[in-house]
Amino acid sequence: MSGDEANPAAEALPVEDVHGDGRWLSQHARFVLECKDGEPDVLFVGDSMVQLMQQQEVWRELFSPLHAFNFGIGGDTTCNVLWRLQNGELENIRPKVVVLWVGTNNHEHTAEQVAGGILAIAQLLTNRLPKAKIVVLGLLPRGERPNPLREKNAAVNGLLRAWLPRLGQAQLLDVGGDFVHSDGTISTMDMFDFLHLTSAGYRSISKPLSDLLLQVLDEMPEERRASLA
Amino acid sequence: MSAEDSNPAATPTPCVDIQGDGRWISMHNRFVSDSKDKEPDVLFVGDSLVQLMHEFGIWRQLFSPLHCLNFGVGGDATQHVLWRLTNGELDNISPKVVVLWVGTNNHGHTAEQICGGIMAIIQVIKNKLPNAHTLVLGLLPRGKMPNPLRERNANVNKLVQDALTSLPHASFLDVDPGFVLSDGSISHQDMYDYLHLTPHGYKAVCEPLHAHVKSMLDKPTDN
Ligand SMILES: [Ca+2]
Repeated sequence: MSGDEANPAAEALPVEDVHGDGRWLSQHARFVLECKDGEPDVLFVGDSMVQLMQQQEVWRELFSPLHAFNFGIGGDTTCNVLWRLQNGELENIRPKVVVLWVGTNNHEHTAEQVAGGILAIAQLLTNRLPKAKIVVLGLLPRGERPNPLREKNAAVNGLLRAWLPRLGQAQLLDVGGDFVHSDGTISTMDMFDFLHLTSAGYRSISKPLSDLLLQVLDEMPEERRASLA
Repeated sequence: MSAEDSNPAATPTPCVDIQGDGRWISMHNRFVSDSKDKEPDVLFVGDSLVQLMHEFGIWRQLFSPLHCLNFGVGGDATQHVLWRLTNGELDNISPKVVVLWVGTNNHGHTAEQICGGIMAIIQVIKNKLPNAHTLVLGLLPRGKMPNPLRERNANVNKLVQDALTSLPHASFLDVDPGFVLSDGSISHQDMYDYLHLTPHGYKAVCEPLHAHVKSMLDKPTDN
């Protein structure tokens, strides 16, 4: 056993339909179909943090106008996103920017493994979309009070900050700065279940993200934009 | 009923904090402390379908004006709601109406067991809030295409509806506006992940629900 191949968080895996209603595969199939009909400039991919963003006003306000697709599925780990991207969700599309937000559900994996899983997804995106920029959103703190998962997510972000620049086209955007108050608590005004964001929470992360996306899209060389048009 | 003792869906059970961030008990504690300085006329209790309702504009628009509290926790099954209600969430409030929406997460339980769990919750509410009326919302269909969980949820609804006809302090409301289309599919425009509702789906559920709850508040109930 050596290197990345030994990382269970970098192994592509579909979600097993334990409940028996086939929802995960139905969502994946819908995304694959969307790729055949649409030409997104921005692709969001990840877990419920990505998925729920689409249900918010802020999505229609800031991200729909950028021609964004949302391929978020609640509960997904790096393994599941890797599998989806290897199985049709990048076919027929050439987004200029990919926003990747996943990892907080990797409960069986260490911070090093989770960061390695995210890096593997970023690597796959770089290979498949050599001209695209990749914005990796940092994992948010979670839980009402300080707890081991907050430390783990912070450690993942630290590793990504060090590793992502090696890929050249990828960068980390840490949007979690304001959620932990001085007494160490997270408020339900920001995260209604101490994990998922309220509309106010989404609003506060969406501004810096939208600013970055606009900047990245604007900085794209003209000939690249032309070739992608 | 001794059968209830062996029904896991009717046995109060706290969620085990397997992930290690204590979120479930944090939410329960917050509900208990919230209830100490609020005087809700309506209490919503249940799983993510209740919880997410609170996160959309429809809640402020339709339910906040009725003085509603929302005690929804994502992932909860009947046994978890049962535990929460027997451990403080009803101790400081006296709502006139309790809206109960739970059961679709009872994986591994039969329709009969889930119905037993819902009936056990109604009994706890009756004991703690003798003057309140419990409105049980029917479980929604789920999954993009027909599947066993849709059938199970439909069976739960039949059983609960039958069981409630003889109870003066509880009633059943089917809030499915027709989410299953003629080809048997559910649209992601209504349920973005074929389980949870979009704002559009909530609107279809909440407008008739609001009218129903409002009429219950307007006229004295006959319990
Ligand atoms: Ca009745």
